[in-house]
Amino acid sequence: MTRLLLLLLTSSATLLVFGLWIPLKAVLAQEMLEVAWAESQARQVESRPWPWADTWPVARLAIPALNDSMIVLADTHGESLAFGPGRLAGGDDGNGAVIIAGHRDTHFRGLNALEAGNEIRLQGRNGRWRSYRVENARVVDSRSERIDAQQLPAGTLLLVTCYPFNSVDAGGPLRYVVRARADGITAPREQIDTVAGI
Amino acid sequence: MMLSNDLLRLYSPCSHRCPAPGRSAVVSEARCGHVPARSAPPSFLSKFRHRPSNRTLEGVSLWLAVLLMLFVHPLYAEASETDDVGQLHFVDDRGQWQEPALVLGSEFDIRVGGLIADSRLLRSFRNTSDQWREGVFVFPLPDKASVYGLTMKVGERTIEGKVQPKETARRTYEKAKQAGQHAANVEQQRPNLFTARVANIPPKETVSVELKYQQPVGYQAGVFELSLPTTLTPRYMPGTPIRPSTDQWQSGWALPTIEVADADAISPFTVKPADVAEGSHRASIELLIDAGLPLEEVSSPSHQLVTSQDGQTVTVRPAEGSILMDRDFVVRWRPLAGREPSAAVFYQSWQGEDYLLAMLVPGQIGKRVLPRELVFVIDTSGSMAGESIRQARSALQAGLQTLTPRDRFNVIRFNSQAHALFMQPEIASGNNLARARQYVDRLRAEGGTEMAPALSLALQDREGGEEESPRVRQVIFITDGAVGDEAGLFRQIRQQLGDQRLFTVGIGSAPNRHFMREAARWGRGTYTAIHSASDVSGPLQALFSAMESPVLTDIQVQWPGQEAGIESFPRRAGDLFQGEPLIYVARGVSAMGELRVSGRLPGGEAWRKTLDLQQAASGTGLYRHWAREKIDGMQDEARVSGQEPDKAAITELAVAHGLMSAYTSFVAVETTPVRMPETPLAPDNLPTLLPAGSEVGMLRYPQTATAAPLLIALGLVGLMFSVAIVLLQRRALP
Repeated sequence: MTRLLLLLLTSSATLLVFGLWIPLKAVLAQEMLEVAWAESQARQVESRPWPWADTWPVARLAIPALNDSMIVLADTHGESLAFGPGRLAGGDDGNGAVIIAGHRDTHFRGLNALEAGNEIRLQGRNGRWRSYRVENARVVDSRSERIDAQQLPAGTLLLVTCYPFNSVDAGGPLRYVVRARADGITAPREQIDTVAGI
Repeated sequence: MMLSNDLLRLYSPCSHRCPAPGRSAVVSEARCGHVPARSAPPSFLSKFRHRPSNRTLEGVSLWLAVLLMLFVHPLYAEASETDDVGQLHFVDDRGQWQEPALVLGSEFDIRVGGLIADSRLLRSFRNTSDQWREGVFVFPLPDKASVYGLTMKVGERTIEGKVQPKETARRTYEKAKQAGQHAANVEQQRPNLFTARVANIPPKETVSVELKYQQPVGYQAGVFELSLPTTLTPRYMPGTPIRPSTDQWQSGWALPTIEVADADAISPFTVKPADVAEGSHRASIELLIDAGLPLEEVSSPSHQLVTSQDGQTVTVRPAEGSILMDRDFVVRWRPLAGREPSAAVFYQSWQGEDYLLAMLVPGQIGKRVLPRELVFVIDTSGSMAGESIRQARSALQAGLQTLTPRDRFNVIRFNSQAHALFMQPEIASGNNLARARQYVDRLRAEGGTEMAPALSLALQDREGGEEESPRVRQVIFITDGAVGDEAGLFRQIRQQLGDQRLFTVGIGSAPNRHFMREAARWGRGTYTAIHSASDVSGPLQALFSAMESPVLTDIQVQWPGQEAGIESFPRRAGDLFQGEPLIYVARGVSAMGELRVSGRLPGGEAWRKTLDLQQAASGTGLYRHWAREKIDGMQDEARVSGQEPDKAAITELAVAHGLMSAYTSFVAVETTPVRMPETPLAPDNLPTLLPAGSEVGMLRYPQTATAAPLLIALGLVGLMFSVAIVLLQRRALP
């Protein structure tokens, strides 16, 4: 009986630790990504946050309404979403649409609080901030819809995360898509300019 | 992560039964949550009697309970919320995602007689759901197909369709749909793209639509070819959407744009074969070739064939029985060596009018190699991703190999933007060729298909550089033609062409053949199709030798008898390349006398040939072919003059000949209603299959949730459980 109890206790504790490790990892990774992001902006190269990483920072996403800011990684393959939101489509040049996906229980947890008119800011590697306004948000079924990036007008930003927000099912088919449109390019931040000049 | 995956799998059976995934977990956790809650109050009373460790345990369990309640509360709130979210129309009332309800079957029955192939295409829509359905299916047909019949089959009954002006037919259909009658409507969206609508398909039943169409058989360099498109490559729609809309990607259909006003009608949802129901999107094909001459070989670059011969008639079937509709079905047949026809005449009398179809192959007409200026244009848009871009690269490499040091060349690649390798065409020196090879090897497919700037770049006027000898300037355009604004591009080619020639090379499992053929025609060149990676060298060899050979220009035909009553098409033949036949169809000529054809060789000498019309064999469907050619001719004229085509005249011609056209479509309506007006009818847009070898152009939504909430919930529940047991044990002990 005691042994069984011990087993239950340890396995539950392990589960809890694993469960808590995921959000912790998301927070810790962002700290490391800050360093890599600063370096990639300074040197204008793809700099990997740790030597064995299969991804690198490509942008900074700031959501003033949520008082939140995070580093966006290239692509969404493998484990990269655990460290930060991934950019599915879109480049630094500002042509075409930008699509960013993130985990609903870590980085994109606050997405459901976004409302039409809220500001979203995106900074490219060249240091330029681009400001977007939320247009709408909707729920899609990933089994019956795809994103046609070519059809989206330039200057569109899509933030994708899982839906419903508090579900425990990690494999659900529904996605929450926030659509935002660019206001225009705002002036680059001065401290970035000086770093880029090195 | 292994651990969490196992947990998910254990968890999943419940989520099928439960209305919302969260709920079952919530219920069980809530029950667990009560255990310590109930046991807690007595422990408070007895806390002074127990050891301090016991008190800590109770404190811990209380904290755990509070934590769990905090954690579980939003889950519970969410579970009660999801029941009435109105947007989730693709989830039925039991929370199950609905599979596409209609299963599509296709049967092709094709008979080839002479130069015309006559086909019956039976499309069956089987409703697997418990609801009444309307099926909408966008499908391709051969690019020169003349559709002349529609029959709807419901059970034992057959209803013949009628040709009507497009808007009238659509109204008839919509009225019948509302009234609950069986109805079918087939419309032409592009010369090679059609939409079938079938209304009121009863639950668990099948409604079939039989289309009759004919198409000319291709004949080039002694080989006959028939191609049967089964799916389409998703088209790129340039321009901005006409109306900004929130349902931008509603079930995968594109929105109309300024340049392609009917984008939504020609862009069905494209899926992988695994995403359609078992047995759906398969076609059975039977092809009967009555060539009228002994055949040496029947082959296909796309599928394995089973052939059986009976005299001069050959029956062809695909070896695998029914084929998956994800690539064009192509059959080629070759007469015995030395027996290739160099001329043929067919005759038919219809409604008191005589129709003649004449074919003439000029044959070998000398060879003279001029220094050339070759511009290769390669499409690197997203629709080319996968097998297509590899084929395109190897086609381009093969093209580079044909260059001699006397030639100049350039390579232009385009997707959303066009980019040229050299500022202006360069001499084909070893150095430049090596650079080009490297450039080509590095090409990747992504982005849009903005063809217009690439065409401008390729067809731009040559600058300066007076040369000692004139160069023949040729543009080779390698693409899958996945564009929606064909007409605009043809206009551009006509305006910018000058004395250049444009050759198109079609790539992929389902290229837009209409665009390829017409672009080459407006560009005074030829169209070559590549079907698979193994099929690259043969057709390209033929193309490059045709490009080196001179062409026959200024072709004139003279029919016997008085000119007045004769209407012959094409009005003006284009220039002729090595191995190509001249094909004319005429009305008002009886099978008597001689047809005279003359032309000019590149050196300036005249070329003449006569054809004895009395040798004519009887043919079928010539009048339809004639009417189709006449309609095409009228649309060409409108394009050249920049006016709208004469809609009334085309409608009248098409109705008189029982043909579908851009302005006429078929509609079949059963007279008695079958569906009660109060029974709902659900629309079902059937997807088309992604062409084999190409990659999904559209992005899938990534997986964007972690197992963290599940792990935390399970961990907390487990811990509470253990603490509760420990507490109970302590209490049980004296």
